[in-house]
Amino acid sequence: MRSRVRAQCSKELLQFRRDRLTLGLAFLLPLLSLLILGFAIRLETKHIPIVVQDLDRSHLSYAFTDRLFATDQFHPSRWRGTDPVAAIDRGSARAAVIIPPDFSRRLKAGKPSSVQVLVDGTDANNARVIRNSFQATTEFFLRDQDLIDATQPVRARIRLWFNPGRKESLYIVPGVYAVVLWIFPSLLAAIAMVREKEKQTILQVYASGIGPGELLLGKGLAYLLVGGAMALVVMGLGSLIFGVGFAGDPTPLLVGTTLYLASAVSFGLLLGARSATQNAAVQGVSLIGFLTALLLSGFIYPVSNIPFPLSLVSAIVPARYFILISRDAYVRGTGWPGVAFDVLVVLVGAVVLFVAARRSLGAMQLDAGAGR
Amino acid sequence: MKPVRLLKGWVRRLLATRFLALLRKEIQQILRDRQLIKLLLIPPTIQLLVYGFALNPDVRFLPLGVVDEVHGASSRELISALTENQVFVDSARPGSERELARKVERGELTAGLVIPPDFRRRIAQGRTAEVQVFIDGVDANSAGIANGYIQQILRRFRPAGSPATPRPPPVTAAVTFLYNPGLRSSWFFVPGVMGLVLTLIASLVSAVALVREKDTGTLEQLLMTPASAWEILLAKIAPLFVLLQVDVALALVLGRTVFGLPFRGQLPLFLLLSGLYVFVGIGIGILLATVCRSQQQVLLTAFFINLPLVQTSGAIAPIESMPAFFRGLSLLNPLRHYITIVRGMQLKGVGLETLWPHALTLAIMAMALMAFSVSRFRSQLS
Repeated sequence: MRSRVRAQCSKELLQFRRDRLTLGLAFLLPLLSLLILGFAIRLETKHIPIVVQDLDRSHLSYAFTDRLFATDQFHPSRWRGTDPVAAIDRGSARAAVIIPPDFSRRLKAGKPSSVQVLVDGTDANNARVIRNSFQATTEFFLRDQDLIDATQPVRARIRLWFNPGRKESLYIVPGVYAVVLWIFPSLLAAIAMVREKEKQTILQVYASGIGPGELLLGKGLAYLLVGGAMALVVMGLGSLIFGVGFAGDPTPLLVGTTLYLASAVSFGLLLGARSATQNAAVQGVSLIGFLTALLLSGFIYPVSNIPFPLSLVSAIVPARYFILISRDAYVRGTGWPGVAFDVLVVLVGAVVLFVAARRSLGAMQLDAGAGR
Repeated sequence: MKPVRLLKGWVRRLLATRFLALLRKEIQQILRDRQLIKLLLIPPTIQLLVYGFALNPDVRFLPLGVVDEVHGASSRELISALTENQVFVDSARPGSERELARKVERGELTAGLVIPPDFRRRIAQGRTAEVQVFIDGVDANSAGIANGYIQQILRRFRPAGSPATPRPPPVTAAVTFLYNPGLRSSWFFVPGVMGLVLTLIASLVSAVALVREKDTGTLEQLLMTPASAWEILLAKIAPLFVLLQVDVALALVLGRTVFGLPFRGQLPLFLLLSGLYVFVGIGIGILLATVCRSQQQVLLTAFFINLPLVQTSGAIAPIESMPAFFRGLSLLNPLRHYITIVRGMQLKGVGLETLWPHALTLAIMAMALMAFSVSRFRSQLS
């Protein structure tokens, strides 16, 4: 049995190596994804273009405008005309500030004044952040101008752990590993599986006397090796490019990555055995893969935000647990005590997916037999 | 009687033309292909629903652990001030500072607050009391928001026993949210996903349709007929174009019924511009088909193109937050322009008067892609 698995595995690797374009893409695609996801996904809202319509043009209103642009959060957008909403309509500004003509007069007379802020609500998250910054800015302005009591009865000494500089790449990059190492190994495995069926070579395989379990093990092992090479390249280059190093014991990551790749490959084999054409298989893998690894895994936004029926799906997504392992290895550094449970979940995922693949292959064999 | 016969003859002649014969063949092929119909309906529906529900950037309900060494009215007041807006939830009371630290370290709590024993005394004396806060910084964005939030609350916090009396601030920022007053995040994501789905499906379906003919060798047979390359391609594209417009309608209806997304623009213009974008997608697909030899290669190269298209389009992460390089690059991305159009027409209700630069870019891209891919298609066959 061992030799048959090994033979199947080396045949698979040989076939994989022969197709140059696929081979190239198998390594280029994960790298490209790493670079694009790693560089382009930034959540912190900065450089928001805004327009200011200052109807007061006084010393105080200038001070207020200066205060707005004192940080890199807002930057002035060029704007002409009389209607600041037009700039928001056009998309050249995300917010418009209108300082009323009696702004300084009312303030000097000790009467309250109100600055009107129109915020583009299209991007709800951004809009909320913009509102909060306006409120904070207004308070800073009032303090600067001694218009409110600056004493503060309670102060907080705030420390940000693990990531004091708030480098977003520390959050994104370990998550990218989970996305990339799920999608691509499963994609390759699914194509390898469904190709046999589409080209009818599966009948030859059955005639050769190799059992379905051996076939799956052989194919799985081959793509596990390919996935391992992928992981080395992606994680190695990722650490170099984004300056992300190990924060603690790397062994949970090592074990976790192997198991995670095994579950990704099993998932690919499962979908490959269940779909009829390559197109369907790739659609299935990429759809389910992206939806689970990208959206239901906590890669971008916290998993606690996922609403009820979907949160159940999210609970069985292996990527969710691998992200915890990966973030622990690169950022938190608590090691085995922190992530033993997550490694266990990924292991269970790998076993369940492999057994499911084995079952659907058995069903497929019956189909093929009946068709003869 | 006579005009009817004339019309009949005319229709018969029209149906006898090469183009229509090809078109009929393509339509029959598509109608027989159950897989394709499924592909056009099921993935877009699932994607729209999951993106719309699962992507939620709210920073709320962060678990906060408190070590309260005062157990007095003033410390309780502080805790309730911090948890009032539901950004933080008072979810653990560890016995010691060390236990609190361990919980934050493991990620069980997002933030920890330590209220020292001298808190009450200092407040009563009118001096500044200091509390300690740890925030789990792994998620840099949430940590930043949590940090700003705590500071904002503490600036306004006036405990009951403190001598300072609160006074309403003389300047308030009256914030109005345009287009989406309820700040529903699905209203941002759903139009983005609509563009994303169209890109993925249009490019893949058209590429696979062409490569399959190449794979099975039927393309040569088609080319041996007197039909020109244009006729062959057009006959292939036309039914796909109609089917993809069905996807546009599907997305609009889903957005409306499930997420309550408004549609504030002019519908005919929207369908026209969506049609333009569908052409861009099909053009990408044909281009891929001319480069690749097998379905496997097409499927992988489609990934290669679509991933950067999607990620630099602002469908998920806002464009302003991207580094300058990617912000510049995204201007070359047709999906970015299409998403701007979709959001503009659905939410803002603007028309061509403000969207014309994006529409023009799409038109140019569609024409360039179609012309280029058709000429490549022709040359690779000779």
